[in-house]
Amino acid sequence: MKKLPLDGVRVADLTMMWAGPYATRILAEMGAEIIKIESPRAWDNIRTLIPQPGVEEPWNSSYYFNDYNRDKKSLTLDLAQEAGKATFLKLVKHCDVVIENYRADVLDSLGLGYEVLTTARPDIILVSMAGYGKTGPERAQVGFGPIIEQMSALTSLTGYGDDGVPIKTGLSYGDPVAGMAAVTAAVLALIKRRKTGEGTFIDLAQREVLSTFIGEAFVAASLRGETTAQRGNREARYFAQGVYRCAGDEQWLAVSMRTLGEWRSVAKALDLTEELTDVPKEARLDEVDRRIGAALASMDPQEAMERLAKAGVPAGRVLNTVDIHNDPHLEARGYWVELPHPRMAPWKQPRASWQFKEAQPAMKRHAPLFGEHNREILSGLMGLSDAEIAELERLEVIAGAPVNPGIG
Amino acid sequence: MHEPVLSGVRVLELGGSLPVAFAAKWLAGFGADVVRVDPDSETLTPDEQVYLLAGKRRVSASFAVESLALAADIVIEGDQLGSFLRRVNPAQLRRQKPSIVVVSITPYGQDGPYAANQATSITSFAMGGIMSLTGMPQREPLVTGGSQSQYLGGLNGAGAAVTAYLGSLIHGEGDWVDISIQECQAGMLELYGPGAAVSGVPSMRAGNHVRAQWAIYPCADGFAGVCALERQTPAFFSLLNDPELAEERFRDPLQRPQHDDELQAKCYAWFADHTKQEILDLGAQYKVPFGAVMTPADLLGNATLAERGFFDTVATPGGTAMIPGRPFLGLPWTPGELHSAGQDTEEVMGEWLEALS
Repeated sequence: MKKLPLDGVRVADLTMMWAGPYATRILAEMGAEIIKIESPRAWDNIRTLIPQPGVEEPWNSSYYFNDYNRDKKSLTLDLAQEAGKATFLKLVKHCDVVIENYRADVLDSLGLGYEVLTTARPDIILVSMAGYGKTGPERAQVGFGPIIEQMSALTSLTGYGDDGVPIKTGLSYGDPVAGMAAVTAAVLALIKRRKTGEGTFIDLAQREVLSTFIGEAFVAASLRGETTAQRGNREARYFAQGVYRCAGDEQWLAVSMRTLGEWRSVAKALDLTEELTDVPKEARLDEVDRRIGAALASMDPQEAMERLAKAGVPAGRVLNTVDIHNDPHLEARGYWVELPHPRMAPWKQPRASWQFKEAQPAMKRHAPLFGEHNREILSGLMGLSDAEIAELERLEVIAGAPVNPGIG
Repeated sequence: MHEPVLSGVRVLELGGSLPVAFAAKWLAGFGADVVRVDPDSETLTPDEQVYLLAGKRRVSASFAVESLALAADIVIEGDQLGSFLRRVNPAQLRRQKPSIVVVSITPYGQDGPYAANQATSITSFAMGGIMSLTGMPQREPLVTGGSQSQYLGGLNGAGAAVTAYLGSLIHGEGDWVDISIQECQAGMLELYGPGAAVSGVPSMRAGNHVRAQWAIYPCADGFAGVCALERQTPAFFSLLNDPELAEERFRDPLQRPQHDDELQAKCYAWFADHTKQEILDLGAQYKVPFGAVMTPADLLGNATLAERGFFDTVATPGGTAMIPGRPFLGLPWTPGELHSAGQDTEEVMGEWLEALS
């Protein structure tokens, strides 16, 4: 069996919430061994953010937590205690990468900044992914994905265009984007280490990464002083484009007509009047919307999509979060996978999106229970004695359950 | 100063799409010699070309694509499956050159019933699930601004390319990576993905208000937002400075959702009384996650981004453009110049094909 690219790479993962855990999920998919470190007093909030009613140990029974933390190992360590810090630095000796998404000042305040980590392992790679980076006047700001989206300028570009209201993306969009960038950063630093033998400190600002997703808007602003308009679902570069309601509850289809020819194909496929009177573009777009909207209102969205696809027109269902789990294409590609979990019934989880066709990454294991691998890591990897581990337990540096767990 | 990480790495960008252009842009910035085979018909807008093509050499060489691919260490291609435009055979390339990395970024991946379907940014965004969550509940689902599905595909492609390249350095063999833009999104549906997989009930778009303390509001000079977790809610409430918020129905996270309308009304009033900067300053002071809706022009004048050297400049015929530069600090980044279409054909043919022979 061909090895995965990160086979043999070990990561000490201090990340929480979504951005960092998304990054380390991808690193795990690529073969890295991920040791997820949580304090008994400051665990990953996602474990308890959406409590499942009536379950024992809710911190071990979160679908949300599981989807972004599978194939990782769990080590509890209270880094606020000296014994916790010392144990962490012993672990760092065995790791290639440390990754964290604390607020900018937290790792240094814990006394575990990059310089300290290099005393444990001189060629360590540290990936820090604070909202605004480690430097600059905004470094003290606290940021989650939707905040990052606003501060990156992306939210200013999103809106229906007729009311001036900017609209946020419907999830914490800044998080996974920063996560993917953090993976790229870690891997580039590993390439550098292989070439030079040196470690690296990556200072990643989540806001900056998301701004790289709207580069053309900065070109327009800097070259011509233009403010990119909110445009609803239309697209200036195309002949026409829109999102249309179909038959069924909240069923919608997005259709792009990049050229006049594609509009003609749509008209033919949906049996519409093809001719458009010689009117200004906005009125023409309204007329296209009206005709397509009328035709699709009573049509099944899947049938409509397939009919337009056959006509060579880009069309895509606005798949909701249930329908996407039943999409025939994703099913044919084996995208949804069910894994056993000791506390929960199986459910459809996404497999790795990076399909290495030869090495074939595959999900192996559910997310770890809290502290599940304490002994394996402390004893097996780090060589701590039973007495040393017992002392860490006595100090509550390590634990098998969070202290005072509540809602995240 | 160290040499760039990807110095000496040859990358061929093929297909002309935004995802491949963005993926290759990151590799160019980190030092790779990126050669873009310009498409016969350019699909990037002029502004996208300024942003995405700076730092790359450009060839018009449809006749020698297979040879250029063989001379590359990494090929990033976006030719659609079944398209007559497909110019390289990734599987064959892998057989001919075991160290090579090929990354294919397409709307639906290399197989499956939709693989040959046409797609655009909005249709890909729709099929990835995020769009169903975006927009006002009483209106149609809304695409996020710019070309987000395309950038997502591109960043996934960049990450996969360098990961496969590292694998090639370590284990001696590259790989062919199949990136489906639909899958890139379907696996990042936050809590809404697993929630629906378990419950069978879809989450619907909620506009700017997931709940009162996770929302965007009009403020005195624009729009600003708050995202307070439970641990940050007391500090947020203290700023709202409303005695009613001490009542159990607001303090108890289980009761609070039943009073969300009332809480929203208090938030509307508070935000309307404050400017963006006041809100951001209070956020830093009280550790409350506040944001403000910034425009690209705002960020061009932002002090943090200036101090951190975020923007690159690119000379264009229309003047000097400022574009987002290095995505993170810590590794050398090289801002590039903008070349014209086909400008480097002769030079690249000489260098790359000579190396091949």
